[in-house]
Amino acid sequence: MKHLRGLVLAVVRLGHLVTLAFALGGAFIAIGVLRSRAAPLHVTLPKLFPFADMSLSVDGLSAFFLLIISLGAAAAALYAPSYIRAHVRAPLIQTFALNGFVGCMALVCCANDALTFLLAWEGMTLASYVLVVSDIRSEENARAGLVYLVMAHAGTAALLVVFLTLVTHAHAFDFPSLRIAARSLDGSTRTWLFMLALFGFGAKAGVVPLHVWLPMAHPAAPSHGSALMSGVMLKVALYGLFRFGFDLLAPHSGPLPASWGWTVLFLGTVSALVGVLLALQQHDLKRLLAFHSVENIGIILIGAGLAMVLDTGRGTSQLATLALAAALLHSLNHAAFKGLLFLCAGSVITGTHERNMEELGGLARRMPWTAWLFLLGAVAISALPPLNGFVSEWMTFQALVLGGARLGGVSGLLAGVAASILALTGGLAATCFAKAFGVTFLGRPRTSHAEHAKESPAPMIAGMLVLAGACVVLGLVPGYVIGLLDRPTSELLSGVGSSAVVIAHGPLVLTSRSAPVGLVATSISVTAVAALFALIAIVAWALRSWPSRVARRLEPTWTCGMKPSSRFDYTATAFAKPLRLIFAALYRPRREVVAETGASPYVLERLSYRGEVVDLAETVLFARTKQGLKAGAEAIRAYSTGRIHGYVGYLLVTLIVTLLIFGKG
Amino acid sequence: MKPFAHIGIALIQAALLVLIGPLVTGFVQKLKARLQCRQGADLWQPYRDLWKLLHKQTVQSDTASPFFHAVPVLVLAATVTSATMLPVLWVPSDPSALPLGDAILLLALLSLARFLTAIGALDAGGAFGGMGASREMTVGLLVEPALMMVVFSVAIAAGTTDLGDLSARRNILTTMSWQAPDLLALFAMLVLMLAETGRIPVDNPDTHLELTMMHEGMLLEHSGPGLACIVLATHTKQLMVLTLAAVLFFPIGLTRSMMPFELAVALAAFAAKTLIFAIFLGLVESSYAKLRFFRVPQFLGLGLLCAFLSLALRVL
Repeated sequence: MKHLRGLVLAVVRLGHLVTLAFALGGAFIAIGVLRSRAAPLHVTLPKLFPFADMSLSVDGLSAFFLLIISLGAAAAALYAPSYIRAHVRAPLIQTFALNGFVGCMALVCCANDALTFLLAWEGMTLASYVLVVSDIRSEENARAGLVYLVMAHAGTAALLVVFLTLVTHAHAFDFPSLRIAARSLDGSTRTWLFMLALFGFGAKAGVVPLHVWLPMAHPAAPSHGSALMSGVMLKVALYGLFRFGFDLLAPHSGPLPASWGWTVLFLGTVSALVGVLLALQQHDLKRLLAFHSVENIGIILIGAGLAMVLDTGRGTSQLATLALAAALLHSLNHAAFKGLLFLCAGSVITGTHERNMEELGGLARRMPWTAWLFLLGAVAISALPPLNGFVSEWMTFQALVLGGARLGGVSGLLAGVAASILALTGGLAATCFAKAFGVTFLGRPRTSHAEHAKESPAPMIAGMLVLAGACVVLGLVPGYVIGLLDRPTSELLSGVGSSAVVIAHGPLVLTSRSAPVGLVATSISVTAVAALFALIAIVAWALRSWPSRVARRLEPTWTCGMKPSSRFDYTATAFAKPLRLIFAALYRPRREVVAETGASPYVLERLSYRGEVVDLAETVLFARTKQGLKAGAEAIRAYSTGRIHGYVGYLLVTLIVTLLIFGKG
Repeated sequence: MKPFAHIGIALIQAALLVLIGPLVTGFVQKLKARLQCRQGADLWQPYRDLWKLLHKQTVQSDTASPFFHAVPVLVLAATVTSATMLPVLWVPSDPSALPLGDAILLLALLSLARFLTAIGALDAGGAFGGMGASREMTVGLLVEPALMMVVFSVAIAAGTTDLGDLSARRNILTTMSWQAPDLLALFAMLVLMLAETGRIPVDNPDTHLELTMMHEGMLLEHSGPGLACIVLATHTKQLMVLTLAAVLFFPIGLTRSMMPFELAVALAAFAAKTLIFAIFLGLVESSYAKLRFFRVPQFLGLGLLCAFLSLALRVL
C-alpha cells in the first residue's frame, strides 16, 4: 500500500513536471513571437477528419494569451504536487485533468480553424469539469459541476451557431476563409453574430448576468485548479471575444459598429460593479475570490469595449490603442494576482482545513509567508499603487477620461460615468480585501483549526512567489511588458502599436500620449513613485526610531476591562454590514434572529443569527427561467400519453408542418 | 540631472505640506474654540502633541502581527508620496523625464494609506478598530468615485489629469474660465472635503466615542511614535485635500519660475487659499451636528449628484 502511494506521488510529480516544461516552452514561444515582426507561426495538424484541414497559428494575440496561460500553469505546476499530497483526493485524475486543461487552453488560443477551436474549447470545459467535481465529493460540488456544464454548453451552442453560419458562407473551416466570408456578410448579420459570440464567450468568462456558475464552480476545484480557472480560463474566453470582435467579424475597412463597443462597455461596467458588490458579502475565501474574477473580467471588458468605441477614426485611434493595451495588460495582471490569491487561499485551506474566514483569524503569525503574499495580492487587486493592478486601471482611467473628452456629448458622459464606477469598484475591492485579509490573517484565532495552523511546504510557497514576483515586476516596471503588447495591439487595431503610445517617453514612464489638438498627455512613472515611497518610508522609520529609545512594551488589547478573547474581533459579517445597508436594494438582505428563552421570557438561553444576501441574477433571472422551463415541461406532459400511436401522430404533424414551411425551395 | 531636480522640488513641496499640516489643524481648533467662546489651546498645540508622542514609549497589543509596527510608517510614507503629486507653489514648466503630478495617482496613494490604516486597525483584534476600519472604508469608497468625478469634470475640459498642467491650463485657456460646471464641481468638492478630512458632519476628529468613531477608532491601538506618524499623516492629508481643491479651482499664484519674488507671491496665495478653506471647515464644524452614520451616504450623495451634474454639463 505504501509503495503504491509512493508510486502515485511520483506520477503526480512527473505529471506536473510535464506541465512546468510545457509552460516554460509556451512562454518561450510566446515571447519569441511577441518580439518578432515575422509572419505568424504556422503548424499544420494531422488530418483527423476528411472534410477539414486542421492547423495552428500563433500570431500576436495568440502569443500574448499563451504567455498568460504559461504564467498561470508554471505557478500551478510548482504548487500542485504538495497541495495534492496534503489533500489526497483523486491525485492521478487531478494531475491528468490539469495537464489536459492547460493543453486545451493553449490549443484554443492557437487554433487556426473552427474545428480545432471547438474541440479544444470543449476539452477545456470537460477537463475543468473534472477538476471541479474531483476535489471534494459532495452534493454541492456535483451541483456546481452540473451548473457549470449547462452554462458552458449553452455558451458553446451559441458559438456553434456563429461558427456554422460562417462556415456555410466560407465552405471551409480555417480562420482566414472565415474572415473573408464574414466581410461579405451585411452589417446586421455580423452584429447578430457578434452578439451571439458575446453571449457564448460571456457565459464562459462570467459576464453578469451569466456569472452564476462561476462562484459555485471555481471554489470547488483544488486551489491550483481554481487559480487556473479564474486567472487563466476566463482569459481564454476573452481571447475568443477579442478574436471575434476585432478580427474575424470585423469589417474589412472602417470602424467597428458602435453598438458592439457600447454593449461590451456596458456589460463590463455592470460586471465590475455587481461582481465586487457580491464579493463583499462572501465569507468563504474562495467564493469571495471567484466573485472578484467577475469584477476583473468587467474591468477588462471596459477597456476592450472602449477600444471598440474609440476605434472609429476621428483622431481617437491612439486612445483606442491605449484602451486595448489596458485591457490586455489587465488580463495578464489579473492572472498574476488572482492566481496568487487563490494559491494563498489554498495554502490557508491546507494549513487549517477551513474556508470560512469567520472561523479563521490570527494566521499572520502562524503562516507568515502565506499572509504577506496574500497582502501583496490584495494590494494588487485593489488597484493600489505601486503594484500591477493600478497600472492597468490607470491606463483604463486615462482612456476613459481622454476618450470622454474627445467623444463629447452623451458618449462622453457615459465614458465619465464608467470611469466613476470604475473608481467605485476600486474602493469596494479595497474594502473587500481589507476585510478578507484582516479577518483571515489578523487578530486572534477564532477556532482551534486556526490556532494550530502550520505554514505550507516550500514548493507551494515557491508557486506563490512566482506570481507575486510577476505582480511586483508588472507593477514597478510595466513598460517592458507593454513593449510586448505592440504586436497584438497593432494587429487588432489598424493603428500604431502600444509602445508608441503608452511608453513613448521611455520604459519607466507611462503616458497617455494622444495626438489630437488641444489634448496634452498625462504621464506617470510608477517606478519613480515606488522609489519615492521607499525613500520616504526609510526616512520616516528613522525619524520615528530616533527620539524614543525605550523598548516596545506588549500588552493585551483594551477591551473595556473584560478579558480579551477572539469574540472581540470584528467579524467579516459586521465589517460588510454598512454596505449591506447602503446597497440593500441590490442585496435584498435577509436576516433571521431566533431567541430561545427559558422558563422566564427575560432569561435568554440561546440567540442565533442567520443572514444572507442574494444574487439577483440567480434568484430573479435563473430561478424564473428554471420555473418557466419546468412549467413548460409540465404542460407538455399532459400530451405525452405514453401510447405509440400518439407519438407517431406528432411526428407526422411535425413533418408536414416543416415541409409546408421549408419545403418550397 | 533634470528629473532629479523635479523630484527634489516635489519633495520640498511635500515637506512644506507636512510641516504646515499640523498648523492648519491648530488653526481650525482655535477657530472652533473661539466660536464656542473658549480661549482654546494655541496654534502650535498639534506640534507639541506630536513632539510628546514621539518621545513616548510604544505599547503594542500582544496579539498584533509584526506588520502592525510597520503600519504607521507606511501610512505616513503613502500620504507624503501622494503629497509630492500636488503643485503647492511651483508647477514644472517643461515635462519631466520622471513625471509626478497625476491626480489619479494622488487619490490612489491616499487610498493605499487608508487601506493600510484599516489593516492596522484590524490587527489588534479589538472591536473598536474593526468598527472604525469598516466605517472609514465605507465612507472612503463612497467619497472616492465622487472625488474622481470632480477631478474628471475639470480634467475633461483641460484634457489631462496632470495637476500641474491642469492648473496651468486653467490660468491660460479661456475655455477653462469659470462656468456653471465649475460651480457645481466646487460645491461637490466642498461636501467631499468635509468627508475626506474626517470632519463634522461625517466624522468627529475630537473624540473616539463609540457612536462617532471612524478615523479615531482605527488609531486606538497605536501609541507613541507610531501614533505620531499616523497623526502627522492625518494632518498632512487634511492640508492636501484643501490644496487639491485650490489647485483644481483656484490655481492663482502658482508659478513656473524659481524667482524669489514669484515664489513669495505663490506662498502668500497658498496661505490665503488654505486659510479660506480652513475657515470653511471650522465654520461648518461649529454650526452642524454629526450625522448618524447611515445618513452619511445621503449627505455624500449630494456631492455625488453635483459632481455628476457638473460632468454632464461639461460634456453635453
